[in-house]
Amino acid sequence: MPAIEVNGLTKRFGPVVAVDDLSFAVPAGRVTGFLGPNGAGKTTTLRMLLGLVHATSGSATFDGTPYQDLPDPLRRVGAVLEATSFHPGRRAIHHLRMVAMGAGLPLGRAEEVLDLVGLGDVARRRVGGFSLGMRQRLELATALLGDPQVLILDEPANGLDPQGILWLRTFLRHQAASGRAVLVSSHLLSEMEETVDEVVILAAGRLVMQTTLAGLAARAGRHGGMRVRSPEADRLVDVLAGAGAMARRVDAEHVVVDGATPEWLGPILAHHQIVCYGLAEERGSLEDVFLSLTSGDGGGPGSIGHPG
Amino acid sequence: MIRLVRAEWLKLRTTAVPWVLAIIAVVLDALFILTVFLTKPNVGGVRDTSAGYIVPHTVTQLRDLVGAGFETYLLAMLLGALCITTEFRHKTVTTSFLVVPRRATFVTVKLVTAAVAGIGLAVGVLVATVIGGGAALAARGGSFTAMLHQVPAVAPGMLLVFALFAILGVGVGSLLTNQVAAITALLGWFVVAQNILIGLVHGALKWVPSGAAEAAANLSVRNGGGGGIVGFELFTWWQGALLLLGYGVAFAAVGWAVMTRRDIT
Ligand SMILES: Nc1ncnc2c1ncn2[C@@H]1O[C@H](COP(=O)(O)OP(=O)(O)OP(=O)(O)O)[C@@H](O)[C@H]1O
Ligand SMILES: [Mg+2]
Repeated sequence: MPAIEVNGLTKRFGPVVAVDDLSFAVPAGRVTGFLGPNGAGKTTTLRMLLGLVHATSGSATFDGTPYQDLPDPLRRVGAVLEATSFHPGRRAIHHLRMVAMGAGLPLGRAEEVLDLVGLGDVARRRVGGFSLGMRQRLELATALLGDPQVLILDEPANGLDPQGILWLRTFLRHQAASGRAVLVSSHLLSEMEETVDEVVILAAGRLVMQTTLAGLAARAGRHGGMRVRSPEADRLVDVLAGAGAMARRVDAEHVVVDGATPEWLGPILAHHQIVCYGLAEERGSLEDVFLSLTSGDGGGPGSIGHPG
Repeated sequence: MIRLVRAEWLKLRTTAVPWVLAIIAVVLDALFILTVFLTKPNVGGVRDTSAGYIVPHTVTQLRDLVGAGFETYLLAMLLGALCITTEFRHKTVTTSFLVVPRRATFVTVKLVTAAVAGIGLAVGVLVATVIGGGAALAARGGSFTAMLHQVPAVAPGMLLVFALFAILGVGVGSLLTNQVAAITALLGWFVVAQNILIGLVHGALKWVPSGAAEAAANLSVRNGGGGGIVGFELFTWWQGALLLLGYGVAFAAVGWAVMTRRDIT
């Protein structure tokens, strides 16, 4: 049985359909990326999982049990939601002790998790003086108090410094390797590429696809092509159009030719005597696939410069 | 439940709110004590208007002195309202609902904790009164022991009323989760609206929370004795207490019903 199961989940805020008949499953022992552009419905879905937002219809369960019915929720599920849910006057250590006490966890866990996320030195500082990244770490510490089997994280990399992001990646990989289920949302696939095993892609509240990272990479391969840097970009586009290729200007000097190989493109440049400063293979990045998948019906800024 | 109340108490005492309210209560208490020393007795309906102070020595005056801080029960109510609205103001309610996903439990824990904190505030005010008022009394040549003898008559009613008002505060706060709205509504009622109502409808006093508080505390002896504030009728102490509890629980029930349907986004 999957650790998290989402079935036909729908949420309407008045006329806005934030999440539309969404179904997916999150297996244990893997990191699942929950991806979608701004407003796709990621936060709403995660909050429905945790019983904070009520679903209009559908269900979300942990091993078959909704969050509200879990006997010891913090021992089963740890959640990092979008930051700033602390009382500014409270000290970090007190925040954690208060949660630990309420959840029936040993109070000593508070110090342990603070050390784990690298906040051991500021344990007695008031949270009001914390930076965004420190708050994010404190949220993570709160989620880890109960050493839960399932971790749910909403854009956890927000505000973290590069070391912090690296640490988080390693940490999440480690959590999954020890058999836990990790569901982590992001609007940037590139941020997640090295962390996730699977992706659940969401756009405008609907599931676009659930696949493994390898599955996504296979799709990316089909988007190969060449990128040319040339002072004669305009002429190049005309020439290539004449040759039947899909060429497009990306800026003053760069042209991308979809599906082209160096063996095909090189002779054409030579034949037409086009000055060329650089020629690079354009392996469609996962990010491009992701963008093309999510910009389809959503329109918006995601679709700029990315053919479907 | 015990563990949740203990966690709630930790939550409360790790912010400034209860301590600031306690300090305000003690300051107000000092002023009320002063008033007791300055209140001349009414003799045969004729007010003594001479300058100077009195030295409380009758049972009524001594009970007035011990119960000087009674009206700071409004601060117990604010404590109740703040302990729930703060969660919404600072969005700590997200974490709280993750720990306690059942919102009925969340509200119940708040009610219990606030009642206990209210009793704590009452004890603090009583101790401050006995120390401060007692010292003033002794300094003016009054009998400190005579004052102490009146503590058992006054204390139970105070503890009861403080607890019930803390519950009322939580009830109103659970319905009006916006902190400014809750505080405005409560102060608006107790400072203005209630007095207008009593002015317009004479019999309303026994039904409003302040009248119920007077009844529940059974301190009517403070107001000239003989079953109530002069010219007004009050409930008996247990009726008043039940009425107050009813108000608190009714607000909390409606608050819970609204909160349960609410999305925390
Ligand atoms: N409380 C609310 N009331 C009304 N509409 C809401 C509410 N919360 C979210 N929405 C709408 O639901 C949709 C999904 O929002 P959501 O926050 O889930 O997106 P997201 O994928 O988390 O976006 P982001 O990447 O920006 O965090 C948006 O159109 C948003 O405007
Ligand atoms: Mg979001």
